[in-house]
Amino acid sequence: MNFLSEYTYYIGAFSLIIIGLYIILVKKNLMKVIIGFSIFDTGIYLFLIAVGYLREGTAPVFSKPGLDAGKMVDPVPQALVLTAIVIGVAVLALAVILAIKIYAHYGTLNLRKIKEQRW
Amino acid sequence: MVNPVLFIVVPLGLAFAIPLLKYISKKIIRFVPALAFLFNLIFALRLIPVVMDHQVHVQIGGFIPPLGINLVAGPVGMLFVVLIALVGFLVSIYAFHPIKEKDEDRYHILYMLQLTGATGVVLTGDIFNLFVFFEILCLASYSLVAYLGNRAGIESAVKYLIQGSLGSGLILIGIGLLYGQFGTLNMADIAGRIHSVQSISVYVPLVLFITGFGVEAALFPLNAWLPDAHSSAPSTISAVLSGIAIEVGLYAVLRVVFTLFGITHMMGLFLLLGVLTLLIGELCAFSQDNIKRMLAFSSIGQIGLLVFAFSLASTLGIAGGFFQLISHTLGKALLFLAAGYMIAHTGSMEIASFQGMGKRMPFTSLAFTIGAFSMVGLPPFMGFPGKFMILKAALHDGQMLTLILLVFILIATVIEGAYFFRVVQVLYFAGEDLPDRERAPVAFSRFVPMFLFTGLIIVLGIYPSLITDLLDASALELLDRPDFIKSIIP
Repeated sequence: MNFLSEYTYYIGAFSLIIIGLYIILVKKNLMKVIIGFSIFDTGIYLFLIAVGYLREGTAPVFSKPGLDAGKMVDPVPQALVLTAIVIGVAVLALAVILAIKIYAHYGTLNLRKIKEQRW
Repeated sequence: MVNPVLFIVVPLGLAFAIPLLKYISKKIIRFVPALAFLFNLIFALRLIPVVMDHQVHVQIGGFIPPLGINLVAGPVGMLFVVLIALVGFLVSIYAFHPIKEKDEDRYHILYMLQLTGATGVVLTGDIFNLFVFFEILCLASYSLVAYLGNRAGIESAVKYLIQGSLGSGLILIGIGLLYGQFGTLNMADIAGRIHSVQSISVYVPLVLFITGFGVEAALFPLNAWLPDAHSSAPSTISAVLSGIAIEVGLYAVLRVVFTLFGITHMMGLFLLLGVLTLLIGELCAFSQDNIKRMLAFSSIGQIGLLVFAFSLASTLGIAGGFFQLISHTLGKALLFLAAGYMIAHTGSMEIASFQGMGKRMPFTSLAFTIGAFSMVGLPPFMGFPGKFMILKAALHDGQMLTLILLVFILIATVIEGAYFFRVVQVLYFAGEDLPDRERAPVAFSRFVPMFLFTGLIIVLGIYPSLITDLLDASALELLDRPDFIKSIIP
């Protein structure tokens, strides 16, 4: 059980990543694929946060006396995640716009039916 | 000496100034990209003698590496900056004449953001910053592929977006794994400590990076998006996607493999991968009737050749790879622009519809022919020294595997010659009996870039020694890891 409690966040993060990957690779509906991307991205954010997380850690404020530097949560992954979320939102927004356009052109969101372009 | 950060800041700032400039005059925005990349081109060329002497470092915000984000302008980075600025400048001249009547401003904004992202990727020395610029490049590319708004464009953009963002996600996981092990994002700092941990925990991020960047670099099993995206984008964007975007993806792979991980003992795998990509690309190109798809597949083939050259991991091979990379960028940009002009005239992408173009559009046909000959590797064009250098490097390498693969490369070149000559034959010798149609009207904004690309291909084909110093320095930067690390983290 010690293993589980120590690595809960990693297990959760990678489960989300795997679920997201599964949805992206298997589902036919473009909207579901986009939802899969959202889950996949969330898993990655959780993983990045978990890398820098410290149980019962404090915020890294050095100006406050009495705080131990060893007990501070690493702020860098959080900054990374903020950036990654912004990028992820942009990608999702573009994906949804393209989904609307796809529906306007083809009248369907089924990716198996949209294959005019082929090798 | 100009601060390398300006190569990113100036196009980025001007890109976001376009929506404001639109209110002053709708015509003025056409000239903004050309202005920005002319600035980059001039100052990047002036910076090259400096970086040949020593790398230029910029610490953003004054934080000393490994703490802050730093820019590293070495020979490799500046080589790419010059190439991006050159292609960006010439292709933006081509776009003086609007691609589509509506939404012209959005085209120019996205175009500039795309090339800004590319410039950022090649200049940054921080792995997460590399990811961010890479995403700027990719996002702008997805939108530009869909710019025409037709069925093919939207479908290709969706494919490209799904595969591209999957790749980006994998890169981000790789960055997280590296940060968890080393507690730093600076590439030189990670590179310096990479051998201090068990190899298995290094190979997982390596594989994630190669897969992620490989999507954009169009390595063999990951390139299903490329022919669709390159053929349905507007021709100017196809030129940039083929000439810049996949090369920048390849740069990211090179940076990761050579500098970050310093893996040189599994190059046999990359040699195989390169030749496989080359053969698949050329074979598929051979069977196409659509000219833009043919050129797109040809890009896959050329990327395979580049991967082969770089995987030789010798000064000769990498210098030859960079030469061929420049040759491919200039040649493919020229081919896409010339093909795009002919498509705009005939309204069809079928190769058969270009019959008699040699008479109706003599200059464009000539430009296309020169580009095609350069791609195949005929002297005196630029492809010849490039392929020759790679050949020489492979023979110099002398291993059994390399020599066997060399045979396949020669076969691929023959296939390449076959399909390019078929197009040239259609241009000049087919349809003699067609009624004599008058010549196409002349648009100078279309001719100037084609003329300059043609000129560069011929000049660099005859005098390859003009750039060999820079190429050798670039090869040294990739191969001499300890020196690279020491110059950033003393």
